[in-house]
Amino acid sequence: MEKTENQKTENGSRNRILERIRAGLRTSSPELHAGHPGGMIFAPIDNPLERFQQECAANLMECYLTASVDESAGRLAKVLDSLPEGEIFLQDHSALRRLAELIMSARPIRWSSQGAPSEASQATVTLAEALIAQTGSVFVTASCGGRGASAVAPCHIVFATIDQLVPDLQTAFANATRERKLASNSFACVISGSSRTADIEKILVQGAHGPRRLVVIVQS
Amino acid sequence: MFYKKLGEQVNGDDPVELVALARRTLRRAFFSAEMGISGANFLVADSGVIAISTNEGNGRLCTSVPRIHVAVTGIEKVIPRLEDLAVLWPVLATSGTGQGITTYSTLIGGPRRPGEADGPEEFHVVLVDNGRSALLADAEQREVLHCIRCGACLNICPVFRNIGGHSYGTTYPGPIGSVLTPHLRGREFQHLSYASSLCGACTSVCPVKINLHHHLLHNRRNTAAAGDTKWTERMAFRLWRYVMQRPRIYALTGWLGKMSLRLLYSMGLAGSVLDPMRAWNRRRSPIPLPAQSFRSRWRKVLGKN
Repeated sequence: MEKTENQKTENGSRNRILERIRAGLRTSSPELHAGHPGGMIFAPIDNPLERFQQECAANLMECYLTASVDESAGRLAKVLDSLPEGEIFLQDHSALRRLAELIMSARPIRWSSQGAPSEASQATVTLAEALIAQTGSVFVTASCGGRGASAVAPCHIVFATIDQLVPDLQTAFANATRERKLASNSFACVISGSSRTADIEKILVQGAHGPRRLVVIVQS
Repeated sequence: MFYKKLGEQVNGDDPVELVALARRTLRRAFFSAEMGISGANFLVADSGVIAISTNEGNGRLCTSVPRIHVAVTGIEKVIPRLEDLAVLWPVLATSGTGQGITTYSTLIGGPRRPGEADGPEEFHVVLVDNGRSALLADAEQREVLHCIRCGACLNICPVFRNIGGHSYGTTYPGPIGSVLTPHLRGREFQHLSYASSLCGACTSVCPVKINLHHHLLHNRRNTAAAGDTKWTERMAFRLWRYVMQRPRIYALTGWLGKMSLRLLYSMGLAGSVLDPMRAWNRRRSPIPLPAQSFRSRWRKVLGKN
């Protein structure tokens, strides 16, 4: 199937709607032009790492700080040991290939260069574009193993370094815009915890459609 | 609902078990569907992406696994810059569910690209006007289009909390639905604007400062101006206006009303078809009539203090 990126569709409806919008906006309204009242919306974050850990705990995420690659590999091995037998999916990146060599897991490994994760994958291991302290979030794009890498398996493990931590969403988006992350990826997501629902009796249950666990290993 | 749709597969009513069953069942649907259809919470102009917020992850699977993804969304969802989401995403989640941000805040800018591991082959965005551009042309009410669908006005509304969303019979229930739906679906939904005590709770919690209860009043005024009210109602309000502008006639009317009710009740006709208070009195003891009118009490006591 030929890609239809930026394909323009010529249709009469679009032109009619655009003309109605232009005509509508000719009538000004004071509310629309009152301007921003100014002032700070969110309090500045003094200690991003501390805030990130607090928000991770509030989001029911598991956050581990490590001091070396060996320690990160040890932590990853422990998390994998807690999962049922089965295949794991890894983003095909040199940093994760090194970790995979260090953990020496007997599990079958599927790399993102071989395609999307299968439903049978017990865990997906990916990198992140950024960690966001304000909301305890992981910012990923399609480059981080694809769309399914953070949605399909019961456990999503993110390996990141401390220098990827940014204080707030504003900084994360400004960086993404400057580095043209959305121009080079069809997908991006700010992930703030495991999949969850409280639709039944208002009781929180993790693992509605996506991962039941979100584990972040932050290496300093 | 679970028993109706899934029958014998349901084992008890434990939410954890029910969610697991829903997960297994819907996974089959997600992975076998040819097309996923989603909405969008925002459309970001400077990046050309749609933004979707979901806690469950259903939006993630719906937009990632099927071969085709179609997003259907209203034209008012457009925001200028990606960085605007740094405010709007937290505001949406906090006002809607009390979270700092929704679990999955997703940006999608096209189909799967070369080199990406997965994603749909086709991506389409359907922009829906359906009355929105006409509302934009209404300078008095166009701020209704600022709504980010957080649901805060629904959660606080005493009417919505008692009757629930299905009673409205509309896509958008609650205060914002009562304001918006007549603009999108026509005058036959104007009656929703009357199902409100105008307490203003909705306006007090709206994160984008839409003056919701005043818009309910605007809708009522528009209904009256369009001549969509009964002639008896119009006559009654005309009479009411005449009386309210003339204090002596108002006082006389009040005195006549009180004396008539007193006579009626003394004849044992409370609750009968002749009783103007019949709707209340026919199943209850008659409301005791005060010995003095408010005007009389004001003159004698309250006014002197």
